[in-house]
Formats: sequence, C-alpha cells, structure tokens
Amino acid sequence: MLAMSHAPHSPPAALASVLDPVSLQRLHELDPQGANRVVERVLRAFETSLTRLLPQSSQALAQGDHEALRHVVHTLKSSSASVGALELSRCCSDIENRLRQMQVDGLAERLAKLNAEGGRVLAAVRSLLAE
Amino acid sequence: MTPALPLADDLAAKPPEVLLVDDDEVNLLLTAAALRERGFDITESAGGEHALQLLADWAPDIIVLDAMMPGLDGFATCRRLRAMPGFENVPVLMLTGLDDDASITRAYQAGATDFFVKANQWSLLAGRLQYLLRASRTRIELERSQAKLARAQDLARMGSFDWRRAGSAGSGGSLMLSAQGLRVLGHGPGDHVSLRAILRLVQRGERRSVLRLLQGVAQHSSVLATDVPVSLPDGRQRIIHVEAEPEFNEHGHSVGYTGIVQDVTDRRVAEDRIRHLANFDSLTGLPNRRQLVWRMERAIEHARRLGHPCAFLLIDLDRFKIINDTLGHAAGDELLMEVALRLRACVRHSEQVMEGALEAVGSRAHRTLEAVGRLGGDEFIALLPEIGDERDAQRVADRILEVMRDPVLVGGQECFVTASVGIAIFPRDGTSVADLMRNSDVAMYSVKSQGKDASAIYSPQLAGRGREKLELESALHKAIERDELVLHYQPMIDVRSARMVGAEALMRWQRGNTLVPPGDFIPLAEESGLILPLSEWALREAARQARLWKNSFGFDHAISVNLPSRMFERSDLVDQIHQNALTYGIPHRMVQLEITETGLMKELQSVIPSLHQLKEIDVEVAIDDFGTGYSSLAYLTTLPISELKIDRSFVRDLGVTPQSSGIVTAIIAVARSLNLRVIGEGVETLRQMEVLHRLGCSLMQGFLFSRPIAPDDLELWLKQTVLPRRAPWIGQASELDVGSPAPRAALGRPY
Repeated sequence: MLAMSHAPHSPPAALASVLDPVSLQRLHELDPQGANRVVERVLRAFETSLTRLLPQSSQALAQGDHEALRHVVHTLKSSSASVGALELSRCCSDIENRLRQMQVDGLAERLAKLNAEGGRVLAAVRSLLAE
Repeated sequence: MTPALPLADDLAAKPPEVLLVDDDEVNLLLTAAALRERGFDITESAGGEHALQLLADWAPDIIVLDAMMPGLDGFATCRRLRAMPGFENVPVLMLTGLDDDASITRAYQAGATDFFVKANQWSLLAGRLQYLLRASRTRIELERSQAKLARAQDLARMGSFDWRRAGSAGSGGSLMLSAQGLRVLGHGPGDHVSLRAILRLVQRGERRSVLRLLQGVAQHSSVLATDVPVSLPDGRQRIIHVEAEPEFNEHGHSVGYTGIVQDVTDRRVAEDRIRHLANFDSLTGLPNRRQLVWRMERAIEHARRLGHPCAFLLIDLDRFKIINDTLGHAAGDELLMEVALRLRACVRHSEQVMEGALEAVGSRAHRTLEAVGRLGGDEFIALLPEIGDERDAQRVADRILEVMRDPVLVGGQECFVTASVGIAIFPRDGTSVADLMRNSDVAMYSVKSQGKDASAIYSPQLAGRGREKLELESALHKAIERDELVLHYQPMIDVRSARMVGAEALMRWQRGNTLVPPGDFIPLAEESGLILPLSEWALREAARQARLWKNSFGFDHAISVNLPSRMFERSDLVDQIHQNALTYGIPHRMVQLEITETGLMKELQSVIPSLHQLKEIDVEVAIDDFGTGYSSLAYLTTLPISELKIDRSFVRDLGVTPQSSGIVTAIIAVARSLNLRVIGEGVETLRQMEVLHRLGCSLMQGFLFSRPIAPDDLELWLKQTVLPRRAPWIGQASELDVGSPAPRAALGRPY
C-alpha cells in the first residue's frame, strides 16, 4: 500500500527535488481517505504513460515527426504537472512552444534533457509506488 | 468540499452528468476524481470517437473536451457533435493549454461554448462547469418561454416588429418582423417584407390616412395604436391592430419603434355584432331605444345648429295586446315584424349611422339619422331629423296610419291593427330627448283616449291631462292594496210589486275625502290592465256583500257585477266565482254578471266559452247598454244569456221622442221572443217609469228609485222607503195595470 495515500508526510529530499510536495499534497486531497486509491491509480497511470511516451518522443524526433512530438510533450506537460513533476512539465512546455513557433533548432538537446528528467521522475514515481 | 449547485430543481436533485473526454489517462483520472469530489456525475472517455459513440444514446448535461487528442481531436469532436440532432445547444467546455490563443479561437469556431485552460485548479473548473450549466439551463428556459410566447402570439394572431429609422436621407427605414408577425400579415416565416410592401396591403381607401397617421406619429415620436384594414396577399380582408412605442438612444433621439401587429378581425366582428345587438332590436332589426335616443340627440344637435325643426312620432299599436293574448306571442312577433316593414316604408329609413360619417359628410349628414325604431313592446318611433313645419310630420303620421289599416296576415288569420300616433316637434314641444319623448307620449295618449287610430300633435293642454292621468294611474295601483275601493249598489226594482229584485254593484274609489266616480278611473283601469285585479276584487266583494245581506234581511237575489270582456276571456273566471261562493257560503246565482254589448260583440268568439260555463253553474249574464252596439240577432239567439239591459239613452228620451219608444219596444220584443228578461236603466222620472211599464218592461233601475248607495244605506233605504211604501213611485207603480207576466217570481217580501 502506498503510504502517502494514508498519511501525508514529506517525501525524501531526493524525491522532493523531482516531485513537488505541494502538488503531491493536492493530489492526495482529491481522495483524502484513500477510499478510491486515486493517488495510486494516478501515479500508476502516469508511470504507464511516461514509460510509453518517453521512447515515443525519441522516435518522433528521429523520424522528424514534429506533430507526433508535439502531441507527446503536450500530453506529458499537463500530466507531469499534475503529479508534481514540475521540471519535466517545464521541459515539455518549452519544447511544445518551440514546436508551435516552428523553432526546430536545438530540439535534440532539449529532448535529451527531457528524457533525463523523465527518467528521474519515473524512478521517483516507482519508488513512491513501491512504498 | 461539497459545492452547492444552485441549478434548477431536477438538476439540484440529481448531480449534473458530465462527459469528460481526454486521451491522457492521468488527466482523465485526475479531472474525473476532482469533479466527482465536487458533486458531478462523471463519465470518462479516452477519445473523440469513443465519446461520440457514447452520445449516440445518451445526452449529458455538459461535455468537457480536451482540445489536443490523437485521432479525433477536441475541435473535430465538437464540430461533429454539434451536427448531431439534440446537441446543438449542449454546453461544451474545451480544455486548452495555457497561452494557446489559436486553440481558443478554434474552440469557438468548432462550436464550443467556452474554454478552460488546463490546470490543477479543480475548484475553478467546477465553478466554470456550474456556470455553464446554469447558463444552459437559463437558455433552455428562455427557449421554452420563447416557444410559449410564439405559441401564444400565434394563438392571439399576434407578432412583433422592430422598425429602425433610416439613416439620413433614406426612406422607409428598416423593418424586422417576427415569424408570427409575418404570418399575421400573410407572409411566410422567411419572407423579407419592407414597410412599403406592408403599406400596400392597406386597403386603398385607408392608405392615405394610415400613411398620414404614421408620419405624424414618427414625427412626434409618439405612441402608435391603431386598427388598419388590410387586404392580405392571399386576398383575405383583415383588420390589423398595430401598437408600437418609440425607442430612444442615449442622446434621447428616437431611433425607431418596437411593437406588435395583431389580427383583430374576429374581435372586431364580434364587437360589431355586440354593437349591433346593443343598438338594434333583434326581432324587427330596427334601431332600438338606445340607438333611437342616440339618433335623437344627434338630430336635436343638428337642428339646433342649423335652426330647423325636427319631429318625433311616437307610434303605439292599438289592440296589440289582444292579438298577442289571443293568437299567441309568435303571432304577435309576426305582426310586429310586418308592422316594422310597413313603418320603414313611411320614412327615408337609414339602417346604420357611422359616428364619423356624420361629421364628415357635412350639413346634409343629419338626414341619415332618419329612421323608424322600436322602443319596445308595440311602441315605435319615427324620427324626422328635418322638417319644414308640423305639416310634414302630420303627413308622415297620416301615411303611417294609412299603411297600418291594411289587414295583416298573422298565424294564417287576418288581423286589423291600427295605430295611435303622438307627435312632438323640436324645439316647440321640447328641447331635450326626454321632453320630446314625454310629450309625444302625451299626444299619443290623447289619441288613445279619443278612440285610437289617429294622430295628434302635442299641445300643453294635453300635457296637463296627461300628468293627471299618470298620477291617477299610479294611485289606482295602490288603491286595491289600500282598500280604497268600495262597491255601491243600485237596487233593481220590479215596479209591479214595488220590490227590490236585485242590485247592481258599481265601483267607487274612496280617494282621500273624495269619491271618484267610475267614469274617471274605469277607462284608465281598462287601458292599463288594472281592470283585471279590480274586477276580481269586485267579484269577491259582491259575494261577501250578498252574504251580509242574506244574513241581515234575507236577501236572496243577485248582485250584478260589471265585468270587462277581458275577464270573460279568462279561463279561471268560473273558478273565481265558485271560490267566492264557497268562501261566503252563497249559491252561485247570487252573483250575476254584466257585459256591455260593445264588449261582448268585440270579443264574441273568445267570450262565448265562458258564457256557457257560467250558465252551467247557474251564473246569469246580462247584456248591458243594450241597443248601443251592433248585435246581430242571429248571435243573440245562440248566446247563453239571461237578460238585456236597455241603454239609459233610450230610456231618457222615452215620452220625449217617438223614436225612442220605438227602439225600446223593439228591444222588449226581441227579449221576449228570446225569452230573456229585460230591464230599463236610468229611470229618473215617473213618466219614464210609466212608459217603460206600458211597453212591457217592469224591471227598472234608476235615480227615481235610488242612486247607487253604500250597502248600509241600501238597507236603510229598504227599511225607511220601500217597506213603509213611502216613495212616490210606489203608489204609481201599484196603480199600473200590467198584463205582462213578471219575468221573475213575485216576491213575498218587500225589499
């Protein structure tokens, strides 16, 4: 069982730098008694989503499919914000804006940064889920 | 947190149903959880295609679409669902990214109701949804009420319009008509109709005045309210009520009008019908009292202005009541209709007078007032709005009398009706409708009292009499209740035995200190119908008196009561007499009836049945004033009567003119041949008594024997005059040698 769903407490410092505690707290407030296991379900959904989307983003870049890439970052942008992965959300937002403005230069570096941050978030989420 | 959802009842009762569409599972999950926690009933869908499938058999209260989705994105989904029947107005909230202006614009273009920037601020999202639901609810109610309004307007044949003034030089301005408004004007819902086109619908004669009215109203920015007759494109003639109020801009300048058009034809037709019913007599179709008074007022105004006389002829049918009573109301109505037709032909009868027309046509217009109308019952009025002098009125009166004299066929029977016409002339005989009506009435009554079938022009002398009569009539009404009526009795004498053989009851009216003689009130009573209650009273009173006399001096003869022929026509006459006899314990024969010869002959057919019934119960009937009417002998032989009373005029001249004795002789011969008793009335002198007796009539009454006197006085008279045999006539009578047999048994007693 996920401890957070029962009693909110500060996550470890390493985790906190990746997942915003305030956002996690707000997430928890959606289901304070944990009756619907909302937090767990959200985190699992996010994990699934992230596991699927991170490879998709690299693939889209490799194929030069900006539209697919844009969709990936758009989706990740809001869902990552929801679980408190604010840095990841910022990376997505940055790429999405650039794509919208057709600024394709430097896209690879930014995507690399996104993947790195995505990996950290994934690890943090998994550790949360493992608790 | 449980936010109140201040939506309408059913929505408050059950949580609003939300279709939430988002391809991202995390968002879907989160948003659904957040909204569920705030009281919404969430159905999740991971994509546009799936969502549209759900909508095939379900209609949520609101749809939340993520704008960016793979496959069918939010915009396409929105566009598709808007095309689905029933989803034209469902609120759709589009979820977009922050700063995504392009998406916001696209969302609206796709038909979204509103957008919401994706964020984790769930309360804001819930608030937005509530707002949209409330707006939707309001919109549904508005649509319902608009539908209701449209329906109501349809039912009321009403529609609205909006007219904007033309900019600067343009003409006509711009006109917008609601679908109902277009229908009122005979156009389809989509038609565009200009003000000019509408003005062309106005009926030709009215167009100019309508245009003038509209221009005037627009010029002064005043309120418009008018009825306009139009010919609709399909040819129907309708009356359209237009009502509009000016609208002003912030500078106070009139910018146009908003208002309604309504088809009021049916109402106008009904109003016209009501107006007609209110102004015209339903039986004859002639103007009624109300309309007549209106016309008379107008006629007087004109006559006063132009300084000419006008005339009112009050026409009252003679004998109408009798026809109504004997032939029935249907026949009476038939007669009135025929009379109305004939009267109309006597004047330049104008059917309808339009109030406006009267002013418009000018100085001759008052001629359209000329008409014959029905005041009520059998009273008509002819209004002559302009005459030279009274001879004009007289000529019309003569014509009226003339046309009335032709027999009228009613109920398969020829009837003779005549009329009495009273004429009053403005300004000589009155200056108001009331005065002129009253004075024509006075003149008419003077005709009635002088034998009817004539006309009379009012004069002040008539008025004096008329007023007196009116007072008398109302006093007479009360006389019965107040016991002011009395019967006086004049004894009938058999001169052979010098005894009283009966008494004639004569009505007197004790009015205050004066005793009103019958000649002063009986004709009035006959005219007003009061004669019936008076007669009933007399029958009762005579029976009562017979009983009293029977008790006090053994009276065993009959008291004669004079009855008008009308009483004989009543089926309950026999019952009344029977009832009175029963009440006072006297035999029927102690009440005898008298009917005048004229009365009898006039109503012969309707009187005969009563005569037979009376004979059956032993009530005898005498013919009064015999010799003055025109009885045919043939009738007399068949009538069940018992006695003839020789009219006093013949008795008066007995011994003075040889003719009178000739007539009396003849009457006595008739009586004898028919085996009827005969009695001489009005015997005042011994000479008259002697002659009568010599001619073979021994029964008499008159001042010679006694005036009509009060019942107590009659007893006194018997006691003091007859019994002691003191009167001069008694000596004379007993000396007479008469061979003829006494028609009545000689009496052993002296009264």
